[in-house]
Amino acid sequence: MSSIQWPSLRAPRLRIFSEFSAALNQRIQRWARNRQGADPATTVLTPGRVYILPTGVGMIYGMMAFAMLLGSMNYNNNLSFVLTFLLAGLGFVAMHQCQRNLVGLEISFAGVESVHAGQSAKFRIAVSNHSKNTRHGIMLYLDDNDSEVQDLGAGESKVFTLVVPTEHRGWVTLDRFGIRTLFPFELFRSWAWLHMDLRGLVYPQAANSAPPPPPTISAHGHRQHDARGEEDFAGLRRFHDGDSPRNVAWKAFARSGQLLSKQFSGADTSSQWFDFSAVPAQETELKLSILTRWIIDTDQSRADYGLRMPGQEFAPAHGDAHKQQCLEALALFAPDDASG
Amino acid sequence: MANPRGTDGSLLVSLPWTLAALALAIAPHLQFLPLWISAAFIACAAWRFVIEKRRGALPPTWFRAGLALIAFLGVLATYSSVSGVGPGSALLTVMAAVKLLETRKRRDQFVLLFISIFLVMSALLREQYVWSLPYLLVSLLLIMTAWLRMSAVRQETTAQSVRTSGRLILYSLPMALAMWVFFPRIATPFWQVPIDTSAGTSGLSDTMSPGDISSLSLSNELAFRVSFADEVPAPQNLYWRGLVLHRFNGRTWSGNGPMPSNNILERSKIAVRGDPVTYTITLEPTRQQWVFALDIPYAWDLARTAMGRQQQLTREFPIDQRISYEVTSYLDYRADANMAEAFRYWYLDLPDNSNPETAELAREMYAEAGSPAAYIDAVLRKFHEEQYFYTLEPPPLGKDPVDSFLFETRQGFCEHYASAFAVMMRAANIPARVVLGYQGGELNPQAEHLIVRQSDAHAWTEVWLPESGWRRVDPTAAVAPERIDSGMSGSRLNGAAAAWGLTTPSAFLHNLGLSWDAINAKWNDFVLGYGPENQNRFMQWLGMEQPDWRKMMLTLLGIVFGLILLLSVVLTLRYRAPRPDKALRLYQTFVNKTRLPLAIGETPAAFARRARETTGMDPATIEDVTAAYLAARYGVPDTAAMARLKQGVRQLS
Repeated sequence: MSSIQWPSLRAPRLRIFSEFSAALNQRIQRWARNRQGADPATTVLTPGRVYILPTGVGMIYGMMAFAMLLGSMNYNNNLSFVLTFLLAGLGFVAMHQCQRNLVGLEISFAGVESVHAGQSAKFRIAVSNHSKNTRHGIMLYLDDNDSEVQDLGAGESKVFTLVVPTEHRGWVTLDRFGIRTLFPFELFRSWAWLHMDLRGLVYPQAANSAPPPPPTISAHGHRQHDARGEEDFAGLRRFHDGDSPRNVAWKAFARSGQLLSKQFSGADTSSQWFDFSAVPAQETELKLSILTRWIIDTDQSRADYGLRMPGQEFAPAHGDAHKQQCLEALALFAPDDASG
Repeated sequence: MANPRGTDGSLLVSLPWTLAALALAIAPHLQFLPLWISAAFIACAAWRFVIEKRRGALPPTWFRAGLALIAFLGVLATYSSVSGVGPGSALLTVMAAVKLLETRKRRDQFVLLFISIFLVMSALLREQYVWSLPYLLVSLLLIMTAWLRMSAVRQETTAQSVRTSGRLILYSLPMALAMWVFFPRIATPFWQVPIDTSAGTSGLSDTMSPGDISSLSLSNELAFRVSFADEVPAPQNLYWRGLVLHRFNGRTWSGNGPMPSNNILERSKIAVRGDPVTYTITLEPTRQQWVFALDIPYAWDLARTAMGRQQQLTREFPIDQRISYEVTSYLDYRADANMAEAFRYWYLDLPDNSNPETAELAREMYAEAGSPAAYIDAVLRKFHEEQYFYTLEPPPLGKDPVDSFLFETRQGFCEHYASAFAVMMRAANIPARVVLGYQGGELNPQAEHLIVRQSDAHAWTEVWLPESGWRRVDPTAAVAPERIDSGMSGSRLNGAAAAWGLTTPSAFLHNLGLSWDAINAKWNDFVLGYGPENQNRFMQWLGMEQPDWRKMMLTLLGIVFGLILLLSVVLTLRYRAPRPDKALRLYQTFVNKTRLPLAIGETPAAFARRARETTGMDPATIEDVTAAYLAARYGVPDTAAMARLKQGVRQLS
């Protein structure tokens, strides 16, 4: 039985209002950025940059306290005055506690892993509490995108993750994020903006269907019939268009219904060259996508490969460092360089 | 498939606390709430808890809406109103019960906690005992703990939550105290709301019909407490004047009720002699307008209170709260000696054809006595010498109650004697009226105040004679003098012990009762009685000249601002990073002096090398400082190394 998807009952926001609030938001952010400037990769929150405002619950709480004050005055009841004033005092205490919960925290960038375009970049940000008391309910956020909420014990550091979606290859930037807390009673929200100018690398998207990579050139300089050496069986990988039917593991196919290609490695010192100009495609982005696919696949088979980009060349090799180097070149490739 | 009414047990962290907070908030209301409301709340709370425990589904919307409607109509039917403390707290209780059944998300509990706070507040409006303050604090701790657990991220231990909310409440105490002391109190309410219509009046009634009630209940309930500035007057002088009754219809005495009057004019009718008696009365709420004072009040500090034409004090509105006021009285006085003829008629009026035998007797006795003074003495002597008895359970009286009392039953309490005496006077053409109030009181030696109870209620008479004005005559004293004289001797039923539910008083329990009374009196004086007058006095004692609300508000704001600064300092200290090691601090100074940034992961030795190469500093000192730093920071505790480090850093410029 499937559940019925009801249309959202939430009234659409007035467009003028959302435009106004977006414009206001931008202004505030620009103001904060101008006021604070760019932050170093490790920043300690000072009191001057922690802002605080009451939440909706806080407003209701305030109104309740005021109503109770009127009631106490009307009845001239000294005990309900006690209750009212305790609640009022708690409001002040909550406000200061909420702000102090953030002041003094040390925030540092803890790295981001490179992703392919379309995937989400996960920025890791470490928050350290150097004091002897717990900081409760700390959360990082970016626009509407919240991280997990965590408590930081005395002297404890924890890593928060901010997820930023990517669309294009190149750099994904995180020029601003916030840290906030609602502790203790959610009556106040205190927050700070950080402008660390963080960035992560976005590789081109790997093409889903790529033409077969160019044939391997052996050390002797002549073309072999097949792209891969056939000396020692090294393992299986998923079948790609262009794999030789001779290398398909038919027995495995009979068992699992999945097409797998046998991989071989061996004494063959031959290597492949992936040449940007030789990729059978017209568009630059598509070429980069195909190159990315080839690099990933070849890397999996642990064969050597080289990359030749306009104005840049990476000699055949294998391994993570080599792969990252090549992908980085693809990610940051600027077509203008090619013409020049 | 996600059920929109399903629960996942995530509320188990805070729901028990919310339920406990609600239960504690409702507890003081239980004795006033109809049984069905208490039962409905308990049922809903238990049901909701089981749902969460079993991760079941909440009841459907139509069910909850129906339940809410029925509950609302039920409250309306029970109280026929939804305003006031009684119906209000009933409504809050059923709201909490219904809300519980739709509490699915964490944040729904906010509503329940707000309801809890309002319920605690209305419990405080109902009753203000000594233990109400600890009750308030415990309730607040429970509510705030539930609140904290509701918004907590990961599961904290119970002890941690209680400690955190306790700490926050502790921080807020000084601020609350400052606000409580300095927030200006006002004398008059903005609007009149009955505190609780279900509770009857416990004071005196406005009329008196001896013969209708056949027994007087001896309630030990407190009427008021009196503390005297100097000595306590003799028991036979302790007549606490309340209201005056002058209209008699043959059976029932009634008065004018509170009337507007002119204080200055009324007081000019009183001539006083002797020393004044000054004292403070803390009057329990009576829901009537009578203000009691020792016969006869001359000055009082209670606002909106005036002396009536019959020398009784009345307030402009019913006394719903315990009030405290200071009065100066004169025991020796002459009131209204020049009463106008028109008013004299008020006090002579007797209905035709009522109590004929009494009228006959009065005429005979007056003729015999010859003068008003002699006649008064003769009537009192008659009560004293003939077979008249004082009893709290007299037989009911017939159609002419005074006749049947004087000639047949001859048994009664103060009301019977006062009524009969006044009728005898009027029949002999002597103006007379009945005064209701209290007589005597028990002295609490531990607190040095007088306790006046409802059982001290009394009725006496006043007769008017030319030249001397109104004169108090207590016919009961002629019949049962011990009723008047024994006020403080403790020979009558032991009130304090009886209050503990014991009929046989023991000295120990009596003392315990008196101690409790003393604590209550202090509580009333200092906490509950902190109204405009006391606040004014306290402000003057603090040195504020001519206190008014502006000065108090300014002081309040100043103190609260100071306390907030203090709080800020406390929190800063609480969350400050520990100071770095002394050696490290000195080394940091050294690094700063070299004007070279210390690279991440650079060892002191590597840094020293760099400093030697790139700065013009003395290489030997750099070496020294580095060696001393390593010894002081990482070696065994070494004061000599620390000294060398300090010296080396100072040497570098």
